[in-house]
Amino acid sequence: MFSDKMASNAKSTPRDAQVMAAILKDMGVVEFEPRLINQMLEFAYRYVTDILDDAKVYSQHANKKNLDTEDVKLAVQCRTDQSFTNPPVRDMLQEIARQKNSQPLPAIKPYGGPRLLPDRYCLTAINFRLKSAKKPVSQPRIQFGLPSQQRISLASSGKGIVKNIGGSGGQSLTMVPKAGGVSGAVSAGQVTIISKPVVATPKPTIRINTGQTAGIGASGLAQMVTQSATPSSSFPSASSLLSSGVLSSATSLPASSVLPPSTSGPTISFNPLKRKAEDDDYDA
Amino acid sequence: MADVNKMESHTSSPAKLLSYADKDQTLMTVLQYLRENNLEETAAVLRKEAKLSDSNLPAPTTQSQSSSAVSHALAAYKSSDDPSIYDDVYSDLKAFIDSCLDVHKVELSTILYPVFIHMYLELIYNNHGQHAFQFFQRFSRDQEKYHEPDLARLAAVQRREHMENDQMMETFKSSRFVIRMSRDSYTHLKRHLQERHMTLLINMIQEHLFIDVFDGVPRNQDQIQATSGALLGDAEKEANKAKVFYGLLKEPDLNVPLEDEDEGEGDGDGTGKPKKKKAKKDPLLMKKSKNDPNAPQPTRIPLPELKDQDKIEKISAFREALKRDKLNAEHLPSICFYTFLNTSQGVTCVDFADDSSMLAVGLQNSNIRVWSLVPKKLRSMKSAMELEIIDKEADDVLERMMDDRSATEFKILTGHCGPVYAVSFSPDRSNLISASQDGTVRLWNLVTWTNIVCYKGHIYPVWDVKFSPHGHYFASGGQDRTGRLWSVDHYQPVRFFVGHLSDVDCVQFHPNSNYVATGSSDRTIRLWDVLSGNCVRIMTGHKGAIHCMSFSSDGKYLASGGVDHLVIVWDISNGTAVAHLTAHTGIVYTLCFSRDGTLLATGGMDNSVRLWDLARVMEEQDPEADSNMPSSLNVNSNPALLLGTYYTKSTPVLGLHFTRRNLLMGCGPLAMQS
Repeated sequence: MFSDKMASNAKSTPRDAQVMAAILKDMGVVEFEPRLINQMLEFAYRYVTDILDDAKVYSQHANKKNLDTEDVKLAVQCRTDQSFTNPPVRDMLQEIARQKNSQPLPAIKPYGGPRLLPDRYCLTAINFRLKSAKKPVSQPRIQFGLPSQQRISLASSGKGIVKNIGGSGGQSLTMVPKAGGVSGAVSAGQVTIISKPVVATPKPTIRINTGQTAGIGASGLAQMVTQSATPSSSFPSASSLLSSGVLSSATSLPASSVLPPSTSGPTISFNPLKRKAEDDDYDA
Repeated sequence: MADVNKMESHTSSPAKLLSYADKDQTLMTVLQYLRENNLEETAAVLRKEAKLSDSNLPAPTTQSQSSSAVSHALAAYKSSDDPSIYDDVYSDLKAFIDSCLDVHKVELSTILYPVFIHMYLELIYNNHGQHAFQFFQRFSRDQEKYHEPDLARLAAVQRREHMENDQMMETFKSSRFVIRMSRDSYTHLKRHLQERHMTLLINMIQEHLFIDVFDGVPRNQDQIQATSGALLGDAEKEANKAKVFYGLLKEPDLNVPLEDEDEGEGDGDGTGKPKKKKAKKDPLLMKKSKNDPNAPQPTRIPLPELKDQDKIEKISAFREALKRDKLNAEHLPSICFYTFLNTSQGVTCVDFADDSSMLAVGLQNSNIRVWSLVPKKLRSMKSAMELEIIDKEADDVLERMMDDRSATEFKILTGHCGPVYAVSFSPDRSNLISASQDGTVRLWNLVTWTNIVCYKGHIYPVWDVKFSPHGHYFASGGQDRTGRLWSVDHYQPVRFFVGHLSDVDCVQFHPNSNYVATGSSDRTIRLWDVLSGNCVRIMTGHKGAIHCMSFSSDGKYLASGGVDHLVIVWDISNGTAVAHLTAHTGIVYTLCFSRDGTLLATGGMDNSVRLWDLARVMEEQDPEADSNMPSSLNVNSNPALLLGTYYTKSTPVLGLHFTRRNLLMGCGPLAMQS
């Protein structure tokens, strides 16, 4: 029915569009959306310009003054190999098939549970990496001493907890209360600052949301799972872990970030809702 | 002089007959003739008169076998150069066939189509575009209607360069068109061709056609129509000779506790004597475990062993089967139809879970939606934190691990980059597999509702994917003309099914998981052996691409439906068609056998669900028919096989499924009125 419409508008449509409609009719296409003519025209224009551009490049390369049919032919050939690839030739397929089919079917391992490929091929692998923080901080820090073989990691939702695999030995956590408006409150508190020597490996930056700023999305919510009990108490959940730790040591801290002990330098302007740095959204 | 004149007058008549355009060529041929007959003197005179130099003389052809040297010499030059004889040869062939006895006429007329194609291709190949065009115009209308799409594609090929890139041309040039013919017709044809010295045709037939000769009575029109239609003709006799184990696998011995407390029905004293009842019901199970000569060995291909969960599932399935509705021509099933609203542009494929509890739908916007069809909602697994604290030794750990807060009626699975063309549940409903236009096949876990694996192998769109009835394997078919068999724990396919000449549109496993059927746009169905990867059956007869296939529950029959509105039921043991069910007026997109194999339900674009009487087909099948005699092919196309037609308002039927109790469920997207 669209083709009827086209026929009735024959006088008003441009010649190229008429040509396209004629092509469709020749190939036996009876019904089509009117947008198809536009798409075909666009394609034809784009294809021809691409080919001619390529042909120009080739003819310049061959130090010719003008474009030649040979240049155009070469351009067409290269484009076809690139964009309009055909599925593999039957002979090649037969060869592959012969090779593969001659191998016996692989045996099935018994009691495999959910039989899956090695993690490399599954999509269940962790696809992020914990990033080392480069932000220097100069506030007094509270040493949150945790025994070695401690690693903080982020757990992905529902896929399995990456339990703490021993990180570089001697890694320790420190919590740095944010400076700024609450510096007064902080300095009023405890001040243990112990800087442990830094091991060269990148240390994790863990952002812990104490639950008051819900701005950081669920994926950014770090659930800290610790293997061994921290000095304070047993912790039912991550946020409460640190909130209890934090609150016991400092007063109102909307957010705190844990940084490796080695950094020191200018403070970061404090705004709990603002992104801390341009790459704070991703941990990799 | 006089001699030369006589010679010229002698040779002018064949020249006129064969309408040579080029005068030089004529002279060449005349000279050639003279030399062959040792008339050197005359040849020299002619050469002098026509002012031809010696170097123009081509070397004498040494192989002249036919009786008349003139015609042979002439033909040797003409076969690749003079385009106008093609018309004549073709018309002559047609005239000959018309003049044959009726008995031979129908068989010989099958040869016209491939001859037409190859003549056209030869003309194009030799750069006679104009002649090719005229030839095409003149004779294309005589061809069968179902060849029209192929002819349309052929018409687009008008130059030699076009031939090189086109896939279909590659098929025509490289593979041979198969024609099955009885010996009488064949000798008739051969005699005629040799009498008329049509070397052009003889060469063409030798190169491009394969005439599979069988001894016996020639086939009649109906029989020929029943098997014609494939891209490259019929299947060869040898293609369907291999033995196919179409029986079902031996069922494992399950101690079925048949009388439970919750079995409300049954005798009141059933619970008191469970053992006796078990013995009585055992014969049902025993029947299956007898050695079926047509069944494959259970260890023929590695299959996953049954876990406890699977055994429980099997037992409940068996119990459901006992309560099944018995369907036959008088007792038709009820149909429960699900219509998708507001997704008419988007729904591309559907699949029902085997126990009818879930429905998965693939959409054009690359999402997959899974609905729950039972009151129980879909839940996902608890998060890792919460899983830690549950007691893993508890009996209902599988319940405890589910997070009830996440229960919803449907879940959306996102991951593909293109429209999803096929979805399939695994038999234990823990996984879902999907195929898409982006060339990947993805495995989704239905406990965590996440994408676990992405199988990359087909680079071109994958049109269909199916899980094996025993789990662990799945098969896929795509635009690259291959079918692939994958194992869930291997990132590469374990088997390649190569042989189709065009896209593989649908795949289906045999109930014993030892065979995979693939249907293609080249209008054939091939049955592949999983163990060796070989094609064991080629079934031709569809006149359009095949969209859906289904095996009967006893494994003996395969039903297929496609673009030609036709549903064909095949007998797998010999690869012949048993019935042609014609009633649909639109493309047939889905079909399903009832659980006991007595009814076949089909649905398609004509907004209808139709029920067919398969029990009658099996009854009416002639047991004495010899499958080796093509002429004894008797295809049942009785219109009385149609038991009922049920129309939806304006919803094409995309999926059909018989529940374990023989309730028919269907679904489709509401089509907007344009």
